[in-house]
Amino acid sequence: MKILATIWKESILLVRDLGGMSLIFLMPLALVIVMALIQDNSFEIMQESRLEVLFVDEDADALGQRIAQALQASPNIHLIKNLKGRPLTAKTAERLVRAGDYKAALIIPEKASITLRKKVEETAGGLFAHYGFGSVTSSVKASPPIDLQILFDPAIKPNYRQALTGAVEKMTTSVQATWLMDDIQRRLGEATGRGGKTIDFSEMIHVRQNDASSDDAGGMALNAVQHNVPAWSMFAMFFILFPLAGNFIKEREEGSMLRLRLISGSQSPVIAGKFLFYLGVCLLQLVLMIGVGLYVMPLFGLSKLALGANHVGIVLTGLAVAMAATGYGLLIAVYFITPQQALSFGAISVVILAAIGGVWVPVFAMPPIMQKLSPFSPLNWGLSAFNHLFLRSASTAAILPDLAKLLFFSCATLAASLLIHRSRIVL
Amino acid sequence: MIQSPIITAFGLKKTYRGASKPAVDDLSFDVRQKEIFGLLGPNGAGKSTTLMMLCGLIKMDAGSMEVLGLDVRQNGAEVRRRIGVAPQEIALFPTMTAYENLVYFSRMYGLPGTAIRETVLEYLGVFGLADKSSQRVATFSGGMKRRLNLVAALLHRPQLLILDEPTSGVDVQSRRMILDYMRRLQAEGVTILYSSHLLDEAEKVCSRFVILDEGRRIAAGALAEILAANGGSDNLEQMFLHLTGRGVRD
Ligand SMILES: Nc1ncnc2c1ncn2[C@@H]1O[C@H](COP(=O)(O)OP(=O)(O)OP(=O)(O)O)[C@@H](O)[C@H]1O
Ligand SMILES: [Mg+2]
Repeated sequence: MKILATIWKESILLVRDLGGMSLIFLMPLALVIVMALIQDNSFEIMQESRLEVLFVDEDADALGQRIAQALQASPNIHLIKNLKGRPLTAKTAERLVRAGDYKAALIIPEKASITLRKKVEETAGGLFAHYGFGSVTSSVKASPPIDLQILFDPAIKPNYRQALTGAVEKMTTSVQATWLMDDIQRRLGEATGRGGKTIDFSEMIHVRQNDASSDDAGGMALNAVQHNVPAWSMFAMFFILFPLAGNFIKEREEGSMLRLRLISGSQSPVIAGKFLFYLGVCLLQLVLMIGVGLYVMPLFGLSKLALGANHVGIVLTGLAVAMAATGYGLLIAVYFITPQQALSFGAISVVILAAIGGVWVPVFAMPPIMQKLSPFSPLNWGLSAFNHLFLRSASTAAILPDLAKLLFFSCATLAASLLIHRSRIVL
Repeated sequence: MIQSPIITAFGLKKTYRGASKPAVDDLSFDVRQKEIFGLLGPNGAGKSTTLMMLCGLIKMDAGSMEVLGLDVRQNGAEVRRRIGVAPQEIALFPTMTAYENLVYFSRMYGLPGTAIRETVLEYLGVFGLADKSSQRVATFSGGMKRRLNLVAALLHRPQLLILDEPTSGVDVQSRRMILDYMRRLQAEGVTILYSSHLLDEAEKVCSRFVILDEGRRIAAGALAEILAANGGSDNLEQMFLHLTGRGVRD
């Protein structure tokens, strides 16, 4: 009853506070649309950025062709074989990478195919000789190893460097193995007098490419809408501290809080009523923001927000974030004495928490040092849970750690608020 | 007629954190049933501090206080539930209407929902605020705010009222209305502890007083007793200046 009365009172105060209303409802709507539009391009670049690799094929034979083929099939690598209509030379490639114009160059040396064939023959021949078939034609160690060269710009991201090196190694091993098997088959055929049998090795092991971050099948890539809607929803929800702390301190200054202390035996209904009311406001903000993602974003030519399949998880996450945001607002409200202190500290702290939490720029695009900080931001916990849900339809169990952190944060701030509020008996 | 004390204060002392001297120092008084008792003194005398200690919202450093038979230190919340307090500062929500303010406070008093509307409208009528009931308090005059501030303390019909300067900043008409209503409540059996720096006003409504200056009690008792004990001054103001000198207080 007293809690309901307080909720009713808070709603009157908020509805008549036009500044507060527009701050928590209009600002986030404008912000989310503007940010999504601004970032729409950069997300495509971030997602689809392909590594341009200079490809110098001095071999011009089977090995070079196979490697080129395999790399061209990879969606993340763009091979450049000719520059200004002329085939690249090792020297130009080296110069261009040194200058930072390209991030990497792959050089297949002259006669690489011939050398590899020779080595395969040597190996197979050695093997057969060892088991008493045929005679040793030459020593295994006779020809030097083939010197494939990958040049990297030192500024290249480590994961690109690994990806390219890995791809090249895989290709050369595969070519080497295929040729070796061919040779052994041929020799076996000769030795036994039976015809050769072609064996296809390619289907023995099938490696499926998976995005490292997706733990469920069927994940979708992060885009401007998928990132900005949950990110700015949470930013807006944490900005609830503006009307919350603003009104709270106003009540303290204007004396109505003294009246409530005089009336009420316990302050719990007053605090609980405020908490529940602003919790509801936070949830309303989230619903509005999701509505914008679903129905307004497409009108601006952006993609429609995908919610995933776990709707219960979304409700739970929304609730947990709303509780954390309201708890934080309440703590700011009771801790600071003047509205100026509360609102400036509150605003700056939320902007910082949002920045390290990955609201402005997704965590994966932040510098490593900042990435280390982001697990400390409640906005990051919420964002991580929303991304799991929206992008990968994660199960509720998968977001449980994030929810637990948010709930703990909420309980801790709420308990601290109550303690501080009680200790401030003297007004 | 022997009246039993409804408030007993003994040896009250309070020094605010960081203050060099106590705001209230060794103050004792008692308030009897159905009287209007005046807690008087100039600015900074310690009147509001005393009243807040009485409600249990400020902890006393020393002394003891019993209100309605309850020890304030232990049962502050229960004391607050049973008494009505009109604080010195206007304690209302400015962006809510007079009616909304009173309804909210009634609900926080835990009054039954069915009776609230009736009670609120009745009091608004008594204090001449009926036609302004749907206006926001922010638009009210000082006198209207002061009256509404008083009404908010009456909603649960308490038997003990604490009024901290209930007439400060109001015109003659509002003052008369408030003082008349205090007498009416007294006639209905309500005990009132009233603080003021207006000694002449207090003379008219109070049966007994305690007069403070700089936290200390300088006189106490019924008007005639006080005047007689202090060399036969004509009124409280004359006596007060005689006792404390003409220096301006903090
Ligand atoms: N919260 C506080 N912190 C520190 N000092 C205070 C506080 N409140 C009051 N005081 C000091 O305590 C003394 C008594 O103040 P109090 O408000 O009780 O006086 P008062 O009699 O009600 O005066 P007034 O007529 O101005 O309302 C004053 O010197 C005042 O400055
Ligand atoms: Mg005072």
